[in-house]
Amino acid sequence: MKIAESLPESFQRFFINVAGIGRFTKQFFRQVFKPPFEFREILNQAYRLGYDSLFLVGITGFIIGMVMTLQTKPTLEQFGAESWLPSMVSVSIIREIGPVLTALICAGKVGSGIGAELGSMKVSEQIDAMTVSGANAFNYLVVTRVIATTITVPILVYYADAISLVGSYVGVNIEGNVSPSLFYKQSLDILVFSDIVPATIKTLFFGFAIGIVGCYKGATADKGTLGVGSAANSAVVISSLMIFVIDLIAVQLTQLFIR
Amino acid sequence: MKEEEIVIDIQELKKSFGDNEVLKGMNLQLHRKENLVILGKSGTGKSVLIKCIVKLIEPDEGRLRVLDQEVKDLEADEELNKLRRRVGFLFQGGALYDSMSVRENLRFPLERLSDKPSRDEMEDRVYEALRSVGLEKAIDKMPAELSGGMKKRIALARTLILKPAIVLYDEPTTGLDPATSKEISQLILEMQQEYDISSIIITHDMACARITSNKMKVIRNGVFKYKGTYDELREKNDPWLRDFFE
Ligand SMILES: Nc1ncnc2c1ncn2[C@@H]1O[C@H](COP(=O)(O)OP(=O)(O)OP(=O)(O)O)[C@@H](O)[C@H]1O
Ligand SMILES: [Mg+2]
Repeated sequence: MKIAESLPESFQRFFINVAGIGRFTKQFFRQVFKPPFEFREILNQAYRLGYDSLFLVGITGFIIGMVMTLQTKPTLEQFGAESWLPSMVSVSIIREIGPVLTALICAGKVGSGIGAELGSMKVSEQIDAMTVSGANAFNYLVVTRVIATTITVPILVYYADAISLVGSYVGVNIEGNVSPSLFYKQSLDILVFSDIVPATIKTLFFGFAIGIVGCYKGATADKGTLGVGSAANSAVVISSLMIFVIDLIAVQLTQLFIR
Repeated sequence: MKEEEIVIDIQELKKSFGDNEVLKGMNLQLHRKENLVILGKSGTGKSVLIKCIVKLIEPDEGRLRVLDQEVKDLEADEELNKLRRRVGFLFQGGALYDSMSVRENLRFPLERLSDKPSRDEMEDRVYEALRSVGLEKAIDKMPAELSGGMKKRIALARTLILKPAIVLYDEPTTGLDPATSKEISQLILEMQQEYDISSIIITHDMACARITSNKMKVIRNGVFKYKGTYDELREKNDPWLRDFFE
């Protein structure tokens, strides 16, 4: 108790958040297999979250693919290794840039949205109203959203990867001429199991983190409109941080087990 | 069943938030088919008290029996939810679900019953509840499109749709004009008579208290300081109490 109180406030908040998110995760796994299953609401949320992010994720993916290609090209030219360009770009996109960038965009868009939505429901007592009507509010609000983000984020990542490759193809062809079939052969042939599977698994965790943090911050929002704003805000900050931490852990594990 | 049956029995209920002692030993009995009005200044713990009754807030000490069940002992979600469905709660701000239409708001509790009614039956019950508050025409509206008074009435319909035995009203008429307030008060009275509902009504609105109350209790400093009928309290010569009636 004493030690905890002597820590700076930001540290205390950090530990409160860690403990709270841990508790929330535990409750999620206790509830997720319990009826009633809100399938319709899961689909509804997944559709909404995914659809809302399509444009932003797509355009960012395209630009990143193109910019990376244009940036890498001069360096590779110096070594006369220009033909490696598509493979280099595709490996970095699929292993790292696609998943992390998409997840960060979703943290900003979806995570803050969930935080604000649940936050305002909390503040206006809508969550309490669900609870006292005998419904399981955690099941209806949290479980559905966390499942939805866990499914949607990986799908959005695949979509962003694909569009990035299109961007990269455009980048290659700004000064040069590579046929689409050659480009895709070069960029996809190099990909192996150890590029795709770990990348997919980590995106599941990214999605889960975005959902659980958004819901946690929303459901614990303070009263007042200020509370809703800061719930949305800290949902983004914490889930972005978690994305980097998960990414770091994922890299270590992949190297340990696969290479 | 006896007319005098007690549906809510609260004894020496205490609740603090940190250093803030809000409830300091509350005693209250609600009888069947009775409207009990609770009066008290802002921030005296009226909302906290009725939130304890449905276990939205856990009291620190004291006994709390609702419909012959000790609320503290209801650990399993199933048992607690069963009790909660028999106790309606009208929130201070209405608490309509913003993302759902009026119809979906009213269907929400029905869809989550363990013996879920059929589609047609649900639709009938939604209409019946809306009719009882006189707002059938609002069925396809979103909460954002409703006025304050309409929101309160829809919230009341949603509370009544599960046919509760007890309803807890948290300031049902605040923020409404006198005419609408009167309508809501009369609605509360009708509900009591038509559906045999017992209720606790929290209010600052003396017109509402006069219309709805069978009995009144006044909170002061964390305990019930005065009780009696509306007329009895009005006759009291306590200057503190007089302020409410002026
Ligand atoms: N969840 C909570 N955490 C901490 N303090 C709380 C909480 N809920 C209520 N309080 C405190 O309890 C006291 C009583 O609050 P309550 O909402 O019951 O007042 P009230 O009598 O309903 O007032 P009003 O008429 O304004 O609605 C207040 O001082 C409030 O700050
Ligand atoms: Mg209150």
